[in-house]
Amino acid sequence: MRDVFVVGVGITSFTRLEYPLIEIGAFASVRAMLDAGLDRIDHLYVANMGGGRVNNQTALGSALIDHLSLCPAGAETIENGPASGASAIKTGYMAVASGMHDVAMVTGVERMSEVNNLEATDFVATLTHPLAENIYGVTLPSLAGMFTRMYMEKYGVTSRHLAMVAIKNHQHALHNPFAHVRQQITMDGILDGPDAMTNNPFVSDPLRFFDCCPVSDGAACLILATGDVAKKLGKPLVRLSGVGQATDTHAVHEREDPTNLLAVRGAAAKAMAMAGVKPSDVSVAELHDAFTILEIVESEEVGFFKKGEGHLALERGLTKIGGQIPINTSGGLKAKGHPVGATGVGQAHELVLQLRGEAGKRQVTNAKIGLSVNFGGFGNNVVSLVFTKEG
Amino acid sequence: MERNILGYRCSKCERMHYPNRARCSACGNIDFTTEPLPKNGVLLTYTVLYNLPPDFDVPTLTLGIVQLDGGPRITGQLRIDEPKSGMRVQGHIGVVRKDNYKTHNGMIFEAA
Repeated sequence: MRDVFVVGVGITSFTRLEYPLIEIGAFASVRAMLDAGLDRIDHLYVANMGGGRVNNQTALGSALIDHLSLCPAGAETIENGPASGASAIKTGYMAVASGMHDVAMVTGVERMSEVNNLEATDFVATLTHPLAENIYGVTLPSLAGMFTRMYMEKYGVTSRHLAMVAIKNHQHALHNPFAHVRQQITMDGILDGPDAMTNNPFVSDPLRFFDCCPVSDGAACLILATGDVAKKLGKPLVRLSGVGQATDTHAVHEREDPTNLLAVRGAAAKAMAMAGVKPSDVSVAELHDAFTILEIVESEEVGFFKKGEGHLALERGLTKIGGQIPINTSGGLKAKGHPVGATGVGQAHELVLQLRGEAGKRQVTNAKIGLSVNFGGFGNNVVSLVFTKEG
Repeated sequence: MERNILGYRCSKCERMHYPNRARCSACGNIDFTTEPLPKNGVLLTYTVLYNLPPDFDVPTLTLGIVQLDGGPRITGQLRIDEPKSGMRVQGHIGVVRKDNYKTHNGMIFEAA
């Protein structure tokens, strides 16, 4: 297998975008081509979840490759729920590592604002088990709500801990010009003060509005290439050094201990083993915080902290920029936004900026190894990536 | 006739599954027998959902996961004013969702 490097990155704002789906994907793709200094690629992988249902458009790979005037390069769409982005990066990795292609473009794109927020949530809920979950009205926020309650009762996590995740990630997003929500929030405003219940109503008890990510449009792009190509282009060398994936039961109630996220644990362990690193080697992480509880639990499952102690590390400030292991420097899904199919590519984009030293005011000092967790379903299909700064 | 939801018992190792699957999760066997799921059990966790899918015409929906007595776990709707993890619940089969195409029946739990 050949080493695989990231030679170009591009992103759009994660927000409400008044452009067609393919144009949003093209903005990020063109930026990545300009960043890399490339005018051709061998193959395009598009990560997307909702095109067929939300935007009434299928075969996005074919549409985007032509819109970019890159025919006759091959192209296809990768759909793996909210983990589509990292799945597409994994596919691009395999293409370059295997020797099949020298340059692979991976573009994640989603345009959720085609429908209203409730319809968007209902669309995402189509990933739940149709007979054992979906017919009851189960949505991702409701699975997260039930999970949060179990975690609170077992490990002593409180609403205050959840709010700390939101406050931290909103703070990080203030320094990310592409973030969806650039708004400082305070404990007083969302939990303690007289207006807190109005500002921060329940969505799926015990989760409140500020515990949930926004519904975003947006795109992100990574161009992957061989070492030979990377050296010619002369960008700071960032290697995609680890790729791991694991699955778990479709229906959440079937898990032996539903407070474990075994697919997160398995995917991250595989990615780190492949990269030859351990959790304490990681300088910066993007963890899939579609709900605040998930950042806490994923920080345990990947091995940064012991099981049941992630909230204590959060209390001590270990996960903010400047802390022992900064998590979600981009603002995370919570504040940067969650255009589902694009999210995993957006996480990788942030890690590459960090490893190149191009993250501006949110830069982590001396960042050498970055880890992402892209969480598909309610933890039933998880892809984890490790990026390593070379040289 | 009493209505039931069927569980799927592996004909080799007797592991009980809900929902059904093509291969036993314990031994990989592909033959199952069906039997009605128990209806009573213990509430493991719950949530009150305020942002409902568009086809629900109620202000909130309470959902929970129940460990059925002598059976598997199941996700269902709760008709309980003040649910509490660990409480005993009793289930029945009723309409849980109506959309443009179909009326869905499923497990609804009340306090035991």
